Amino acid sequence: MAMSLPFLGYGLGLRNEYYEQILEQSPAVDWFEVISENYLVQGGKALYYLDAIAERYPLVMHGVSLSIGGPHALDTDYLKQIRQLAERIQPAWVSDHLCWSRGSAHQLHDLLPLPYTEESLYHVAARVRQVQDVLERPLVLENVSSYVRSKADEFTEWEFLNALAHLSGCQLLLDVNNVYVSSRNHGFDAWTFIRNLPPQSIRQLHLAGHMDYGDYVVDTHDHPVCDPVWDLYQQTLEHLGPVSTLLERDDHFPPFEELLTELSKARELGAMALARRSLCA
Amino acid sequence: MRLTDWQLAFEQHLLSETPVANSGFAATLLGGPTLDVDTGLAIYHNAYISRLQDVLRHDFSAILYWLGDDEFAALTEAYVRRYPSAHYSLRWLGERFPTFILEHLVAEQGVPLAELARLEWAFTLAFDAPQGEPLTLHDMASLAPEDWPGLQVTLAPSVQQVFCRFNTVAIWRASKDESDFPHSQALDPVQICLVWRHQNVCHYRSLEPAEICALAGMVTTGWRFSELCAELAVTYAEGAPLQAVTWLKQWVQDGLLERRAP
Repeated sequence: MAMSLPFLGYGLGLRNEYYEQILEQSPAVDWFEVISENYLVQGGKALYYLDAIAERYPLVMHGVSLSIGGPHALDTDYLKQIRQLAERIQPAWVSDHLCWSRGSAHQLHDLLPLPYTEESLYHVAARVRQVQDVLERPLVLENVSSYVRSKADEFTEWEFLNALAHLSGCQLLLDVNNVYVSSRNHGFDAWTFIRNLPPQSIRQLHLAGHMDYGDYVVDTHDHPVCDPVWDLYQQTLEHLGPVSTLLERDDHFPPFEELLTELSKARELGAMALARRSLCA
Repeated sequence: MRLTDWQLAFEQHLLSETPVANSGFAATLLGGPTLDVDTGLAIYHNAYISRLQDVLRHDFSAILYWLGDDEFAALTEAYVRRYPSAHYSLRWLGERFPTFILEHLVAEQGVPLAELARLEWAFTLAFDAPQGEPLTLHDMASLAPEDWPGLQVTLAPSVQQVFCRFNTVAIWRASKDESDFPHSQALDPVQICLVWRHQNVCHYRSLEPAEICALAGMVTTGWRFSELCAELAVTYAEGAPLQAVTWLKQWVQDGLLERRAP
């Protein structure tokens, strides 16, 4: 069950806007998630702060460029660098996204959706095993938000994630906001998605904000978490038990205190959800 | 449609100039109850361009200041269409931007603008270059007197040299200060601007010709310290050792030098 996986508590994304405050104030954040690519460099301020913060807080590595579902061969140089960074900072785990981000010859720098077909499933599963062999640890994959889907889909997204976890041994980073965004855009029930995932594979949760345009929703990570996502988050924890939770903010960075307040909200709502789970057990 | 073909069609959509997708590709997709396929594809198309432009806005803020939002947007869109990203890290997206500016604009505008882009890119390179082991004043104080004549040095890994034929540094400074732009002017003589990182902070300094020659002699030609003194004697006579020590001390204080292995 999910409870047997390490529970790191409630974390924030490590962003350069907050480096100094983190070191000066040692805020009550249980752990930080780092964007792996930001630290695949040879020197400078980012690595300096990363090393200093790694001495004080547990870290998790979160990549955006693996392109696990891409049409190209996996980039072995990139994988080696990910492994070296993992050796340097000893993250609790290493994650990326169930998507593709590199095309035939170009880096597209987006988390592009896959068709949920058998062909995609076997393609991705084989590559996950390849990555896990290099990293010598399970890969954790996150569900992405999407704005179109393929007519060729043979599975729902949650069926695909189940099958992928089963075939490859990967673990899952469940982004509750992404489920909400995609459910609005594609017209499925968000809770059906979450309750049909394999609980034993879910290692981490993401919470984030988005832009709601009425007819559709765009995953922007530049707003506070909205009420429907908080509701879904509590329902998720009641169902799963404690799962390490990360509050993401990638743009329109507020004062650090505001993020800490929002993280406290996650902590409080999480505690209430887990208390309700205990009462119902 | 096979997975690879579908992905290539998706890629072509992102790289195309219009957010309206090829109808054959769009026909392979589904939207949602209130999100049609064309809007969904336009979200991806717009996100692709705007994400790359955001990175270039950050890395070339002085170019943005010079050109203004609209011209910068047009130039950067043309750039990413001509040179799509080839590296997994967006940190390298702007590598070819100075060259592209020369290719894309008329020389009168392109040459000074490309020089400003090279200066900004030099800061990007210095920012995360390897730390190396820069010489310190303490290292120099510990150097035995008999080792001074044979001392050889090289540039620390973060040091970038930008050849300035225009008042590019003044223009860059104006953008940082958000002050009035000086008119672009050719310099005579030309200058070398050094950009480097010392103790995790990026620095810059323009060098006069005499100092450029002395530094180049040491770090490029491979002069020993005694050879630097001998070269300077032509100009500075008996003041040559003092001038050599003055410059060497400045370079070491700035964190520009590493000791070259004997």
